[in-house]
Amino acid sequence: MTNLAVIPIILPLAAGVILAFLHNRTKAREWVAHLFAVLLVLFNIYLNWYVVTNGTIVLETGEWKAPYGIVIVADSLSAILVGITSIITLVLVYTSRTQITDKMKQNYFYSFVFFLITGVSGAFLTGDLFNLFVFFEVLLMASYALIVVGADKVQLRESIKYMLINMFSSVIFVTLVAFLYAVVGTVNMAQIAVRVQEVRQTGVLTTIAVLLFFVFATKAALFPLYYWMPKSYSVPSPIVSALFGALLTKVGIYSILRVFSVIFIYDTDIVHQAFIWIAGLSMLFGVIGALSTNNVKLIIAYNIIPSIGFILMGIGLFTHDSLNGSVYYLVHDMMIKTALFLLVGAICYVAGTSDLKKMNGLIHTYPLLGWMLFIAAFVLAGIPPFSGFIGKIMLLQGAFEKGEIAIAIIALLTSLLILYSIMRIFIHAFWGTKDETVIKKPIKGYLPSIAILLTGSIILGLGAELLLPTIDAISTDLLNPEHYIDSVIKE
Amino acid sequence: MLLAILIPVIFAFFIPLLSKYKSKVHTGIFVFFVPFAIFIYFARFIGANFQVKTEHLNWIPSLQMNFDFQLDGLSLLFVLLISGIGSLVVLYSIFYLHYNEQLKQFYIYLLMFMTAMLGVVLSDNVFVLYTFWELTSISSFLLIGYWHFKERSRYGALKSLLITVFGGLSMLGGFILLYTITGTTSIQSMIEQTDLILDSHYLPLALGFILIGAFTKSAQFPFHIWLPDAMEAPTPVSAYLHSATMVKAGIYLVARFSPIFTSYEWFFIIVSIIGIVTLCWGSYMAVRQTDLKAILAFSTISQLGMIMLMLGFGTEAAVFAALFHILNHATFKGSLFMVAGAIDHETGTRDIRKLGGLFVLMPFTALLALFGTFSMAGVPLPFLNGFYSKELFLEASLNLPAATNSISSLLITVIPYLAVIGSIFTFVYSMYLFFGTFFGTKHFESLPKEPHEAPMGMLISPFILVMGVILLGIFPNLANGSLLTHAASSVTGSSNHMDVHFWHGFSAAFIMTLIIIAVGTLFVVTRQKWRVVYDWIPGKLSFTKLYDGILRQLDVYSNKLTTTYMTGSVRHYMIYILGATVIGGFITIFLTNGFTVSTDNLAPITIIEISIVVIMIIAAVATLFANHNLSAILILGVVGFGTSMLFVIYRAPDLALTQLVIETISMALFLLTFYHLPKLKKRTDSNKTKVINVIISASFGLLLTLVGIASHSNRYFDSISAYFVETAKTIGGGTNIVNVILVDMRGLDTLFEITVLAIAALAIHSLIQFSKNKGAK
Amino acid sequence: MEIIICILAGILFAIGVYNILQKQFLRIIVGTTLISHGAHLFILTMGELKRGLPPILTEGITQYTDPLPQALILTSIVISFGITSLILVLAYRTAKENGTDNMEQLRGNEND
Repeated sequence: MTNLAVIPIILPLAAGVILAFLHNRTKAREWVAHLFAVLLVLFNIYLNWYVVTNGTIVLETGEWKAPYGIVIVADSLSAILVGITSIITLVLVYTSRTQITDKMKQNYFYSFVFFLITGVSGAFLTGDLFNLFVFFEVLLMASYALIVVGADKVQLRESIKYMLINMFSSVIFVTLVAFLYAVVGTVNMAQIAVRVQEVRQTGVLTTIAVLLFFVFATKAALFPLYYWMPKSYSVPSPIVSALFGALLTKVGIYSILRVFSVIFIYDTDIVHQAFIWIAGLSMLFGVIGALSTNNVKLIIAYNIIPSIGFILMGIGLFTHDSLNGSVYYLVHDMMIKTALFLLVGAICYVAGTSDLKKMNGLIHTYPLLGWMLFIAAFVLAGIPPFSGFIGKIMLLQGAFEKGEIAIAIIALLTSLLILYSIMRIFIHAFWGTKDETVIKKPIKGYLPSIAILLTGSIILGLGAELLLPTIDAISTDLLNPEHYIDSVIKE
Repeated sequence: MLLAILIPVIFAFFIPLLSKYKSKVHTGIFVFFVPFAIFIYFARFIGANFQVKTEHLNWIPSLQMNFDFQLDGLSLLFVLLISGIGSLVVLYSIFYLHYNEQLKQFYIYLLMFMTAMLGVVLSDNVFVLYTFWELTSISSFLLIGYWHFKERSRYGALKSLLITVFGGLSMLGGFILLYTITGTTSIQSMIEQTDLILDSHYLPLALGFILIGAFTKSAQFPFHIWLPDAMEAPTPVSAYLHSATMVKAGIYLVARFSPIFTSYEWFFIIVSIIGIVTLCWGSYMAVRQTDLKAILAFSTISQLGMIMLMLGFGTEAAVFAALFHILNHATFKGSLFMVAGAIDHETGTRDIRKLGGLFVLMPFTALLALFGTFSMAGVPLPFLNGFYSKELFLEASLNLPAATNSISSLLITVIPYLAVIGSIFTFVYSMYLFFGTFFGTKHFESLPKEPHEAPMGMLISPFILVMGVILLGIFPNLANGSLLTHAASSVTGSSNHMDVHFWHGFSAAFIMTLIIIAVGTLFVVTRQKWRVVYDWIPGKLSFTKLYDGILRQLDVYSNKLTTTYMTGSVRHYMIYILGATVIGGFITIFLTNGFTVSTDNLAPITIIEISIVVIMIIAAVATLFANHNLSAILILGVVGFGTSMLFVIYRAPDLALTQLVIETISMALFLLTFYHLPKLKKRTDSNKTKVINVIISASFGLLLTLVGIASHSNRYFDSISAYFVETAKTIGGGTNIVNVILVDMRGLDTLFEITVLAIAALAIHSLIQFSKNKGAK
Repeated sequence: MEIIICILAGILFAIGVYNILQKQFLRIIVGTTLISHGAHLFILTMGELKRGLPPILTEGITQYTDPLPQALILTSIVISFGITSLILVLAYRTAKENGTDNMEQLRGNEND
């Protein structure tokens, strides 16, 4: 049954390839895209169930035994992340049905989406550092494609910046993998971990670790490396933005979580302290960015940064509670960011502008949209009983246990400002007098998707107990890397 | 209990259905039965032999976040206020809100609030309490913004949301701290572990966090500024949320946690200072207002300060007086708000300068107001409940326990004087409110509406409340044994029975009352003469301005800050990113001693390699100076071919071949593309730009070189490659090891490398496709 | 020799970065190409240079150059090629649409 682990990668790959051939068949491509998205969700549910009941699945590709070939490792963390990824994929594919132009679809839109999912799932699942680089490239290449296809002037301009910076950090990534290879003689993550442990992570290893952090932090859009992100995530179509906002930065922070919980777990005093500071600065700068603009898409894009900051804060604190918080927050944020990008997409569509100052009184015409944004604001700010709150208390608990008062206060303050940044949209765009001249535009394509995602967030909050035991097990694994190592290298 | 809490919000789901008939039957009539039923349900518990009731339901046991409800005396008092005043407010709103208003929303919010508020006062679990707490802020936000077409409503709503959520988050911080210290989320279990909390070094922080939560919610100085702006809400809301219930949540919180903190002297100091300042400032500012509801808002602030102050005292008498006053305040202030609403409804204005002489036209309304204002002023008449709690308060302020440090002893000396000053102003605004509205010069003709007596329906609710004022005035001990004693025992732990009497001799407190009335009357009469003091204090200073300033600065500076570095220039972004990486990298090398070189085990150096290296460096440098497209591309080619030469020398034939092919194709691509692009121009960078570029690029190159050399010098382990050499033939079945690795051992890499290429091809295809289509148009 | 190659690779990186910090597209893309050359040289060096024959199994020889870095470089070369091609076309289109190949003129403003 170990082949199970590779299916979340192979399925979207197959979908991407098939859809590339069907790009001119209007009906067929919708059917196939939806079919594969549904299959992926169903399969990932099964995978999660399987991993929870039978433990980590390790697939040695080509039957080359562990440290030598490439391993695909589906532990609970990876399984849950590919699971959420597939749900988001399904929702976005559904939304694309009505919200993406025929022309985009003729130009391989669905293929690129599925290739992106291939890369994302691969990055979540691989147990090999170089292979991680390859999956990064797959998802980046797909993202370049998505951001440029059908692009206008502005999008082209932003995509070239996006591409340059990501390309650059990829080159650094591959170089660092090589450096690490020189020192420990392997690229298998579990074996690297064993060997790093054997030499107690000497100085050169810590240096490589820090540089790797910078590479991942660039992808994750952390302070002070996020500059490329807000603009390039806010210019493409809402669905592409949602895909990017929900998944790409998460791959970066996931990599940090994985690498710094399995491999580089020594000499952590300075590193963890640095993480906490970077997390705090990401929160502050991110939310200040969100307050600085009247462009609603940018407001949401900037809000990615503090969320990643929250997750990093948990990694920096590195207690059981704080890791619980980070993992929970990761899952929660993937859902709510997708919802928010779709929400502002719909808002910009009905208002005909992304400038907050030019909107007014939308609640009279689009009450459902308004109330969903209202709920989303509280979900994002971590107000109970929604999902953000659950992650937040565990993170704060971790902070207090460690005596890190400053970061706890920053986190609380950031929550307030996040709420303010989204409430500004609600108050300016939705409240106010009714404009009788407005003709109602159809937003049926958006509403069900947003509703599903918000329901997901509410279930994650109210029904947190469903997920918490799994999250708890994940944190235990993260704190005990030998679990991961032993499952990969069996001796 | 859970059901009782949830009924309002469950009922809210049916409101949209009911509101269809609103032109025939006012939606409020249906809604009225909800709080009324809850009131009846809980009224059963009133009685001398009341027992604490608990209920438990699991929610998120992993986080100890469960529905633990506890009904003790303190909760019961609040529950009755919430459901009782709630019923009256709904009743009042039926006459206040016309059916063509958006009644659906109004009642949904109101019911949501009821659930939230009941939840706050009944939860024993701090996280659940916090959940309901934020829900009260949210429903308050929606109710203040009910008439959101008005700019003032939007402003007030946002202000209240920001301030109360700020406090809420702070309180959450305090709760999590207490949870971290005690390992429990139950307030009762926390109280049992009081010693542990008092010993913790987190004590000051936890207290501070929780008090900020309480102060913001209960509009204590300097967080009081949201309350006057909250008056933009419809009057029933002001009467309910912003005077009788929600603003008392902070009071409730302090009372609830005072068993833990009361023996910590800073609890007394902070709560008393904030309380007395709020009391004085609120009553002082109330005199200055011209809007009826604004006067009532500042009056509420002041009264809340007084209750807070008594909780700060923490003595048995003071706590009892505080609880008694909560009840009294709810009756007289609730009725006054409703009266103000009625006046507004009938005259079209709440501006006291435009009102006056209304007694003639609205005698019944005036009568109700008379009882309300006089009770509020603490006039010693045996049928006004306000007098009793005011008297108890003055008495308590004189009987404070001995001080333990200099700050407390100073406080103990000053508080009685300040209490008198605050009360004088209370007397002044109460009289001003009553006489200014109902007596004095008449100018009915300038009113927006022709005034007449309010409809009887609108006066039912204030009438019932005034009956409460009178009843509690005549029988001050009415609620003692059955309700207030139980409430007090939840706070202080002792269940001593308090007796309240109208007359108990010429005590110091009574003399203080006489002074208050005497000086107060003088101040009322001479009000016009001393009004100028407001030009000095507060003068131009105001905390609202501070709040506005903070928001404005946040707007301006966030924009300034963000646009300073988010320039949209790739160069800047690269400089920031590289700068951070370089600094981080070098610091790490320095701290961890990460750079070590070993020169043994190196390959020999040969002339041919050196010459290739030199040529490559020269070519690379030359790209910087190339000023033609073609030459730049060709020079780049030299570097590429140099790389493949090195691959040949370093025994990598496959690489050399691939590199050669790729290099050639790339060249062709470069030439194709840049044939169409503008020519390279001479660079016109300033020297500063150049210097920064050089520093950044050189230091980055240096960093990588150093780490590279260090990595190469610290080869701790044998490479796994030995295994590949061994098994390439035996298992892999090929002699070219690199090829076997690519297609077999690391076949997955290759598969996805091809995928990358395929995506690139599709992307390029569609990019070109798009531009073609554009051209066709 | 390894140290010299490391220095060479470092110089390629430095010059590559300097080129990326320029304004015109062509220079920037030249820069990215240079750094990928630098990266490949780094990878190769990390496997030790010239320690044995090319990694093609021959009777009686046991000493070969480390084959793994070579495999990694091959993957990486192909990927960089894909990216370079895409960015070239993208640069071309961007320059056409926006009417400039000057990065500094492509900063944009908030509301577009």
